[in-house]
Amino acid sequence: MPDTPQVSPALKTLLDKGLLDRLPLSFSAFCFDQMKDWDLLFPAERGYYERLFGMLDRSSPQAVEQLFRPLRDVERQMGVNEKTFPKGQFSLKQVDFLNRNPHYPEWRAAVAQAFAKLDPALDSEIARAGHARLVIVAAPAQLPADPSRMWTRLQGRGKRLAIEVPERAEDFLPLLLTGEPQGRATPTIAQLFAAGKKGGAYTSWIVEAGAGISGLGAAGPPVVKYSYAALEPYRKRLMGEVRSVVEAQEVPGPRQLSARLKQMKILASEGDVAKDPILAEFARAILLSGNGTLLINNTFVEWATVQAVRRARPSVALVGFGIRNKVKPFSSLLIYADQETTSPIPSQMDTLGSYVDLEMFYQYVWQEFEKYAEYRTNTAYLFAGDGMEEMLAVAPADFPLMAASGPLKLPAVFQHLKEWLGV
Amino acid sequence: MPSLSKRRFVQLAGLSIANRILPGWLRAQEPQRSANKVIIVTFGGGVRYSETFAPEGLHNIPRLVAMRPDGHFFNSCVNSGVLSHFNSTASILTGNWQRVDDFGFQPPAGPTLFEHFRKQTGAGPLDAWAVATNKSFASMGCGSDRAFGQPYGANVVLPKQLLLEAVQEVVKKGTAGGVADREDVLRRLEGVLSEGYEGIGWTIFQAGRKLDRQVRETLLRGLVEYINGPEAPTSGDELTFFITREIMREFAPRLILVNFWDMDVAHWGSYSLYLNAITRTDRLTGMLWEEIQANANYRGKTTMLVLPELGRDGDQNTANGFLNHRSGDPSCRNMWLLAMGAAVPRGQTDRTVHHVDVAATAAELLGVKAPGMAGTPMRELLL
Repeated sequence: MPDTPQVSPALKTLLDKGLLDRLPLSFSAFCFDQMKDWDLLFPAERGYYERLFGMLDRSSPQAVEQLFRPLRDVERQMGVNEKTFPKGQFSLKQVDFLNRNPHYPEWRAAVAQAFAKLDPALDSEIARAGHARLVIVAAPAQLPADPSRMWTRLQGRGKRLAIEVPERAEDFLPLLLTGEPQGRATPTIAQLFAAGKKGGAYTSWIVEAGAGISGLGAAGPPVVKYSYAALEPYRKRLMGEVRSVVEAQEVPGPRQLSARLKQMKILASEGDVAKDPILAEFARAILLSGNGTLLINNTFVEWATVQAVRRARPSVALVGFGIRNKVKPFSSLLIYADQETTSPIPSQMDTLGSYVDLEMFYQYVWQEFEKYAEYRTNTAYLFAGDGMEEMLAVAPADFPLMAASGPLKLPAVFQHLKEWLGV
Repeated sequence: MPSLSKRRFVQLAGLSIANRILPGWLRAQEPQRSANKVIIVTFGGGVRYSETFAPEGLHNIPRLVAMRPDGHFFNSCVNSGVLSHFNSTASILTGNWQRVDDFGFQPPAGPTLFEHFRKQTGAGPLDAWAVATNKSFASMGCGSDRAFGQPYGANVVLPKQLLLEAVQEVVKKGTAGGVADREDVLRRLEGVLSEGYEGIGWTIFQAGRKLDRQVRETLLRGLVEYINGPEAPTSGDELTFFITREIMREFAPRLILVNFWDMDVAHWGSYSLYLNAITRTDRLTGMLWEEIQANANYRGKTTMLVLPELGRDGDQNTANGFLNHRSGDPSCRNMWLLAMGAAVPRGQTDRTVHHVDVAATAAELLGVKAPGMAGTPMRELLL
């Protein structure tokens, strides 16, 4: 039997009381597996498990039994038992078992039903501690679209703001995010929040395709930064290692490959996030379990943002998309090969394809934030195009920019953002 | 051009003459079901209704839209099984919901349509083929039932794997042109064909360890056409099409599975690449239908059944929208099916059919009894 995970003292007390043993096997196995690497969880994740199990502990045994009865019934029909779901194990083997079981749809429905009852109670705790949050999503300057063709899937959800574009194109993002032109070492809105009373570690994030946003700001408060461009050494090493593992047929199947990939950690020389075990593991997970994140810059940005929301619940997020390259001949056959070296054909930007990709990703990013109680009703989203004379604000009515009129200067926008966040 | 044997010529001429001189009431009974051919096309890799036959998706599939009035369209074809490519396609082929290994490490449970067809009709090994872009489909040619199995299975060809071998060789050698050098890639392809195919997972039942010369030449023709095509060859599905066409021209099999798979590029997270793949598959499916109409061995006696093996997650409330296809939401399961063929009544059916009904229907069309299938024949196609 596996040891109890090294969780917080409060949670350990609950687990020692046998709380997990009172829960359906698949549910407890999943939770146990998630908590196994407690030290690699973000504070928001730890807080979630403490709240969840605290609430279950406070509930009467009858209420817990009633909550999970449908799930237990489905588990019985599926053949979930100690053998198929050994305590604390929720690997690909268990995922396979569920996926291939004829009762899988019922299992999913039963899990959803349980969370539909749990979430409102957990959410109300979160909502009581709510505060203003900010998400800025920046599109690259090269997109071949005018403002009327931008953010079409979010049309009708917010207000379009006229912007006075600065004389120097390179000042656009610095003015928006720091209030100053390029080259001044003034803090970004993300840094200001991280240094404020609601800030702290893991509260402000920058996720981007290039490195332009990460390079802004002053030395000072820690902001989590993930740049597809800056992670290039790690990405290339990962691709090489995966390729050699696959080509040498060292692993018989996906399960073994998954275990092997877990060992491929970022090196100190490959990025600052290596210094923090939580962020290092996050980088590995994003690049190796997120579909095309190794291959396409914007997929990396979208998936890293979505995962940051799910796991870390940042209060300020600056998200910078880029332009992906056109697919070269045979690229789909050489997934883990360096596209630059396998073909002498020069890389070309796919601006139109990137535009199409991003129209979908704006929606995905926005709706991911909105799934969680932390963000509903108190988050301002600002969709901007680098150098574009319009922005889209999707925000509560009291977000200052919702009342603004006329072409706005970017430093004025920045002041409104500061006011919103109280920094 | 493939050579036309004297016997085949006489057969074809005979049919042609019969069409002209026989009375209508007698002609109506022809062709005999036992002479029918069936081509099952998985419009695949995973595609949603919203990007295909939903009003907002029609512009992605102009060829299918144009074909639809001449065929029979099933508005609702539901995949109630496991939402992996292998299990979904194996369900289509066996008529039973499959729950085997998702990555093809196990064969389908129970006999496939190929085996029922060959065992009952005595059809030879060149009469049943599976041409698949998905590399895990090597074991798709026959199931695990010992009463059937390999002696009655289909030839399985994985053209993309062949290409992969060649491309990897080119990359390893580091030639100046890299993979952009079509001639070099083609030389490697030929080499792989000459050296044997087992390393790339193919199952050619007739040929043993080495590729039969005729099979090899047939596949090579498909490769040459692909490599020297007007566009840069980037798509595994294009190669699958060319190989399928060569097999049709050379061997005229009565039962073929064509597995397209390019759309699964959606996993990369590029919506535009996913849309491009849909339009390419639409074009290739249209070209396949053109080949059926142009090829005397197929014209007038072939039913083509086109369906996505699975959808993809919906944009709302799922793991990551179009990138994946495991959530089990309606967007993953609710598909469509388009049947084309001379004997196919034009029209549309709104009742729900299922992926497992495809094998049962195809068995009827081939004049084969296939007991033990969960699926039932689509009566709309068997009038």
